[in-house]
Amino acid sequence: MKKKTIGYYWRIYRKIIAQDIKSKMSYRADFFISMIGMIATNVAGAIGFWLIFQNFPSVKGWNYYEMIFFYGFSLISATPAQCLFDNNWSLRIQVYSGDFIKYCFRPMNLFFYFMSEVFDIKGLGQLGFGIAAVAYAWVKLQLPFHVYSIALLLVAVLSASLFVIALLNLAASACFWIVNSFFVLSLCNTLRDYAKYPVTIFGPVLRVVFTFIIPIAFMAYYPSQIILRPESVSTIVWFTPVLGVAFFYLSYKVWMKGAMAYNGTGS
Amino acid sequence: MWRKYFSLTRAGILDSLQFRLSLIFTVVGNLLYLLLIYYLWRAIFASVDSPVINGMTFSDTMVYLVFASALFNFMEMWIVWTVGREIQEGKIVIDLLRPMNYLTYIFFRGFGEVVVKFLLTFLPTAIVVFFVSDGAIPVGTNLIYFAISVCFSLLINYYINFFVATICMHTESIWGINIMKEVIVGILSGATVPLAFFPQAFRSIAMVLPFQTIINSPLQLLLHPEYTAVQCLQILGLQLIWLVVLRLLAEWFFRVSLKKITVNGG
Amino acid sequence: MEPIIRLDDVSKEFKVLNRHEGLKGSIQDLFSRDYRIVHAVNHISMDICPGEIVGYLGPNGAGKSTTIKMMTGVLQPTSGKIVCNGIVPYKNRSENAQKIGVVFGQRTQLWWALPVIESFKILKDIYQVEDAAYKDMMDLYGSMVDLDALMHKPVRQMSLGQRTLCDILAAFLHNPGVVFLDEPTIGLDVAMKAKIRELIQKLNEEKNTTVILTTHDMGDVDALCKRIVIIDKGDKLYDNDMEHLSNLFGAYRTLSLLLTKKKDACDEQQLDELAASVKALLADKWDESTCAVSRNEQQIEILIDEAKVPMMKVLNAVQEQHKIYDMHLQEISTESVIRKIYEGGMA
Repeated sequence: MKKKTIGYYWRIYRKIIAQDIKSKMSYRADFFISMIGMIATNVAGAIGFWLIFQNFPSVKGWNYYEMIFFYGFSLISATPAQCLFDNNWSLRIQVYSGDFIKYCFRPMNLFFYFMSEVFDIKGLGQLGFGIAAVAYAWVKLQLPFHVYSIALLLVAVLSASLFVIALLNLAASACFWIVNSFFVLSLCNTLRDYAKYPVTIFGPVLRVVFTFIIPIAFMAYYPSQIILRPESVSTIVWFTPVLGVAFFYLSYKVWMKGAMAYNGTGS
Repeated sequence: MWRKYFSLTRAGILDSLQFRLSLIFTVVGNLLYLLLIYYLWRAIFASVDSPVINGMTFSDTMVYLVFASALFNFMEMWIVWTVGREIQEGKIVIDLLRPMNYLTYIFFRGFGEVVVKFLLTFLPTAIVVFFVSDGAIPVGTNLIYFAISVCFSLLINYYINFFVATICMHTESIWGINIMKEVIVGILSGATVPLAFFPQAFRSIAMVLPFQTIINSPLQLLLHPEYTAVQCLQILGLQLIWLVVLRLLAEWFFRVSLKKITVNGG
Repeated sequence: MEPIIRLDDVSKEFKVLNRHEGLKGSIQDLFSRDYRIVHAVNHISMDICPGEIVGYLGPNGAGKSTTIKMMTGVLQPTSGKIVCNGIVPYKNRSENAQKIGVVFGQRTQLWWALPVIESFKILKDIYQVEDAAYKDMMDLYGSMVDLDALMHKPVRQMSLGQRTLCDILAAFLHNPGVVFLDEPTIGLDVAMKAKIRELIQKLNEEKNTTVILTTHDMGDVDALCKRIVIIDKGDKLYDNDMEHLSNLFGAYRTLSLLLTKKKDACDEQQLDELAASVKALLADKWDESTCAVSRNEQQIEILIDEAKVPMMKVLNAVQEQHKIYDMHLQEISTESVIRKIYEGGMA
């Protein structure tokens, strides 16, 4: 058997994704409605955010524009999970109906093959919102604008996105052990929604939980500080990329283990 | 004649008790969510000097938001998803043949779960809040108004959901339709942010739409014992009007859409 | 010949939660830790040689798909060992997958919204099929089915039959050593069934592919299999040629009798009564394994073991009490033998 190189996976991925986009475009009305829905969610999120914070000069020492920065950052870091790992949301249904088994018969990584099937274009709308919010805050906060800071932002965002993906993987994989596990996903989604607030407001216990157990603090708040207040970040924040990779790897392992465990019970 | 509705409800209760972990998760998730909004609003109130913002104290805001989320959660029947799927998979044909009104049938099919969620999430939350908040919830005739109002809310919410689900006869995107509904209802009902925090113009718009009668109305009745009987009946009356209007609208829209579908042979 | 698949004393156990009934039971289940062990597969051994078509049969829940899942590397046996194509499938699932093809019931593995040809192109890349080999395969397919009618149609617009056909073609595309077919003809009409069987037969001959076929349709077995393996409740009951099957329980033949006038033949109640009376009559003389009575839509059927009692004797016995309007005799069908095995005739 020929060795499966990264090139092999990349080629397959491109082909499958291209086909997925093509077939989604063929349901045009459907596509537009989803797109509008996605934009509406983001507009509503922005309105909710604005309704709450319009009257308040600062929250826990973070001013309005810094809050907007966290908000935008959280949207951007959620984009890769939304676009590339969206099939996680249908995992439960496929496991329940038994259709999941088809992924097990292909000569390649199961996790990869499963995720490759869906590319969610809607996620790009969210990305647009996120970038707009971050840019707005960037200008208002008069942050320096040069290659170094942009590169730093990119690394921070990518590391943060690994946390979002990993949490999604973990939540979705619950369906391998629990029937009707939708609530796990839904709960994680709710939690993720709170990634846009400074974790310091949640009290000491939740702060520990959100740092070490369900690390939503790494999805926006900690990595944003690298840009906003590099002089006062704690050491652990600088390890965000390493921790992100580790957490992602953990979620991958759990997901795969679940897939194997499930195949025993499903008929 | 109520027997069939009773047994549909019972089946729904049994069905939702099947999934033990998901129930536990719902309860835990709910508590966690409450904890999060507690901390969030505490931080917000701590950031200003005045203890009263937009006429609400911290404890008012908390009681409002806790009840809003508890109401919102227990009323959620996933109608758009279930009916939308049923429409698209063609299973609706089977259910249309049942010897009862489809609108009523779907309501009672989901009602069992509502009962379970009411007992397992709403009631415990209400009791905990009552004792923890220590007097923030007034006790009196307002509880009766509140109870009636919640029943109206449940139906109003259901009709809105059913109306939105019917849209799925015209498009394939259940996801898109549902998320738009969630967004609109979430904001305009006052479930995520109390209406008192809305700017004046925004609030006036929200007040003439039906969505505020789902969450805002019952909570006004609960939290304002000083309202006169006339004021309370006005709120309930408005709910009742919306209830009737939305029911007629949902039924009409369903009939028209169904005709269109059957004519096209979709 | 060196076997292509070898199962050596393979067992698989599962842990299942005991559920209780009713409202109270559901609440109990919330906190229950009451599990039981299910033995899905019990100490099964077998060798399958290259090019064989093996019918793998058993009633629902017998452990068929568990075995298939173990052979395809999806599941790991609790004990025992499987070697497939020289690979231990559950240790190298991906490597094994390269050398097998799978069609699983009514679930298509093709991309739902794509024309079949696009699915094939993706599969070609996934399995790293060389251009020349791919072209040969497509030519071969072209000689067997009307490819043009199929290839450019999205899967979601296909009939079940067309979809199954394409799924089978897809499974053979990378020329695997073994193909697993799980109920390939389920839900299809007679003509389509015949077409699918013919296709499987041809592909097997042409490529010398080993085929493991699970099915409930004895027509599939009669048309395709030389050898069958039967399992029930996880135990292997039978593993031998088809020819042996028919004399497994001695010399069986079925006697069909019409005991009412043609016009009354469809009276359900009367038929039931007749069947019961014939059953009682024969039960006095012979035991159940010698002559078993059942009924179809119109007639009373008696399955007779002629090694133990001559058919004429049975006929006479019936005739003494009933008027026989019509009768015919048939060799036992595969279906009835297998039904007997399922029902515990082996013991």
